[in-house]
Amino acid sequence: MAQFVFRRLLGLFAVLFIVSIITFMLMHAIPGGPFSREKPLPEATVAILNEKYNLDAPVLEQYLDYVGDIVVPRVTYGRIPPSVSEDFLINIPLPAFMGDQAALRWINFGPTYGSRNRSVNDIFRDSLPISFQLGSAAMAIAMAIGIPLGTISALRRNTIYDYAGMGVAVFGVSLPVIITAPILQYLFGVQMKILPPTGWGEIEHFVLPSFALGFVNSALIARLTRASLLQVLNEDYIRTARAKGLSERMVVIRHAIKNGMIPVVTILGPLFAVLVTGSFVVETFFGIPGLGRYFVTSIRGRDYPVIMGTILLFAGVVSLANTLVDIVYAWLDPRIRFD
Amino acid sequence: MKVRRVSALALLLVLAFALVGGTALAQDGGKRVVTGLNMVGGDVPTIDPTVSETSSSIDVVNQIFVGLTAQSETTGDTIPGIATDWSVEPSDEGVVYTFNLRNDIPWVRYNADSGAVEQILDDAGNPRMVTAHDVVYGFQRGLDPATAAPYSYVPIPYINGAAEFNAGEADASALAVTAVDDWTVQIGAPEEVGFTAAIYGLWVLRPVPQWAIEEGGDSWVEPEFIATNGPFALKEWAHDEYIIVIKNPFWPGIDGIPQATLDEVEFRFLDPAQQIIEYEAGNLDASTIPVEEIVRVQNDTALADQYVTGTQPCTYYLGFDNTEAPTDNVHLRRALSFAIDRQSIVDNVTRGGQIAAQWFSRPGLTAAPTLETNPDLGVVFNPELAQEELALALADLGLASAADLQLTATYNDSSGHAAILQAIQQMWSDTLGLQVELTAADPTTYFASLSEEYPQIARAGWCQDYSDANNFLYDVFHSASSQNDPGFSNAEYDALVTQARTESDPDIRRDLYAQAEEIFVVQEAGIAPIYWYSTNYLVRPGVERSESITGNEAYYNWDVSE
Repeated sequence: MAQFVFRRLLGLFAVLFIVSIITFMLMHAIPGGPFSREKPLPEATVAILNEKYNLDAPVLEQYLDYVGDIVVPRVTYGRIPPSVSEDFLINIPLPAFMGDQAALRWINFGPTYGSRNRSVNDIFRDSLPISFQLGSAAMAIAMAIGIPLGTISALRRNTIYDYAGMGVAVFGVSLPVIITAPILQYLFGVQMKILPPTGWGEIEHFVLPSFALGFVNSALIARLTRASLLQVLNEDYIRTARAKGLSERMVVIRHAIKNGMIPVVTILGPLFAVLVTGSFVVETFFGIPGLGRYFVTSIRGRDYPVIMGTILLFAGVVSLANTLVDIVYAWLDPRIRFD
Repeated sequence: MKVRRVSALALLLVLAFALVGGTALAQDGGKRVVTGLNMVGGDVPTIDPTVSETSSSIDVVNQIFVGLTAQSETTGDTIPGIATDWSVEPSDEGVVYTFNLRNDIPWVRYNADSGAVEQILDDAGNPRMVTAHDVVYGFQRGLDPATAAPYSYVPIPYINGAAEFNAGEADASALAVTAVDDWTVQIGAPEEVGFTAAIYGLWVLRPVPQWAIEEGGDSWVEPEFIATNGPFALKEWAHDEYIIVIKNPFWPGIDGIPQATLDEVEFRFLDPAQQIIEYEAGNLDASTIPVEEIVRVQNDTALADQYVTGTQPCTYYLGFDNTEAPTDNVHLRRALSFAIDRQSIVDNVTRGGQIAAQWFSRPGLTAAPTLETNPDLGVVFNPELAQEELALALADLGLASAADLQLTATYNDSSGHAAILQAIQQMWSDTLGLQVELTAADPTTYFASLSEEYPQIARAGWCQDYSDANNFLYDVFHSASSQNDPGFSNAEYDALVTQARTESDPDIRRDLYAQAEEIFVVQEAGIAPIYWYSTNYLVRPGVERSESITGNEAYYNWDVSE
């Protein structure tokens, strides 16, 4: 097990390394730069800005600087005034004999060109917890609706329950958030005035966005659960379980659902990764200060450090989620081994 | 089935919770306005005046920082800010502007513990006042290449030594901005120009607190470090969500910038589409209106009387590549421009109170021609003339018919631009028989392409930096301007706008600009002006918005009647 986790961590770093190189090359290849404006800035001003952010250096040098700032820890002395280019995620004060206000600092994702007073780390610190809360709530709603719906549909196959359940699922899959969000906002916000259409911070802000985000994904889970469970119910071991006299309830819960969950868990991992790193559409519609919109606005604005930061974060979370999924496999199906 | 009942119960519980907690919006006393900031969602890029560049930043900056001069929101004229008056005298290097400052404006900060705006005290315990030294520091910081202020290029020609300092060829001592004493600032300039005082009041040159910036570093604009000098002070900045400013009781109140009547203004960072939903849900007091909602608002019985439209100092236009075939042909450019029915575009496409533009410099700017002073100036829809010009162009180009002409118009992708461009495409087809292809590009790619490889026909817009026709006609389309991407070049035009720049008689200036416009948009058709912008807002009854022609809102002039 320990060996497995260690191997996976090595793999994670390899993935991040490759993703970082590809992203860095791609984003510098798209035309336009962070200072392309509708009202063009004079060349002299752009040159000053490029120098300020080290964008006039060769791309390889920029890449090495960028990776160095993230990977290499450093020791600093004295008070550092808040600086967007010197903002570290990990700051460990060192004992006084090592120097005045000495500190070990590590992991600096750099400044954002979209703001003069925030770093990419600031964006992570402010936005990631919000996206995580929203994504977790949406995930819970998706599973709470999707798994029972799929299970009932499979067990009551070709009955009115099945048709109704799958009808809801098809409805959910076919209705993107850009449709459900304004409808929910109009119904509950403008007409009934019982829930705020946008914003964040209070419990009532949770309801509409997490439902909108959860509902569309619940449909996916429901359909997968149903298909997988139907297959499992035809397996020999289910017949054996029934033959040895287990109640239908035990057959379903202990044998069918547990095994039927394997394909579902496979998608739950990446789905969770997608949801907790934020959804651009949901965050934009519901005015939520999460991380999701940075995935899109950073590319639109050629905000290179934010592009890199969000994509590395996303790649990291997806890799971790897949590792977790692999561990859950072994619990669901003892035949699966790590070696 | 049991599972289902449980999850339904959970959902109901969540809903019930929401209802109980749903009264958080009630306000406790005080006059308060919640408004949507003019922006797409996300965060305000900065509220540091020196490096501000978007209208969202400037809208907030104008409430909390006041410069040497300010702009009257009702007339657009330059009015005193923290200066009481100023004078100009000749000098060896040109002229010297002397500004006398008020001595009763302190630096303030909101104290979250006491819940009040407080004056900031120096080491001796005296309030730190806004002095000439703060003004000098503001100028130096704005022009320092290390600051990399996006708008530093605007004031550079109006301050001696600024170009050398900004290029890194000289240090700050080369800058001809000095504090004679605590309340007097002298600024050396190469020549006397009417709008110089307006330029010295631009956000990029506003006084800023050196001690706060040194302490707070890049975070100095956060509430814990910031010090401001305007009618409001910063209370809270929740990144990506909102900014709240609170009335500054220490602002003395001056003509045009009185003490605020409102106690607080909350700016929410939402897309226009989200703003109007929040407005209709009753959570915003003022909202910008997304283009696609304007007609619904105008026809909605409940909303129509809350709808306000006003002027915005911007011009929407199509630029032609003046340097490359086939649009380097003046007859083709004139044909394209005269074939556009601008009235039809503002009546049928944009429909938000825009005005069909006959020329480039937006009426309302100082010295710009207006439809009252020069009703016959400029370009209006003229299909016969357009067809004649097209025939001449085809002859010049050696083409048999309009069908042989391949033209492409490019725009930055948005539904609003697409609708306007499609209407114009149809007009060119109907009037000229020209089939023009439309290309939408990702905005950043598009804006980068304008200075690299200008499209044949390109959508563009220009908004004022300061309120003077010079900012449109000289700053953008003088043949030597860095902003002149279409490559328009005409010696007579250059001479007119150069002469108008330093002319002091307002009537002569306007006449010079009218002559320049005649060359620019009629004879040469360097661009095709389309419309003059308007602002479109919804404002709740009981909220008294002050009418603004500057494109920015002055919340210190707003009031709430209930």
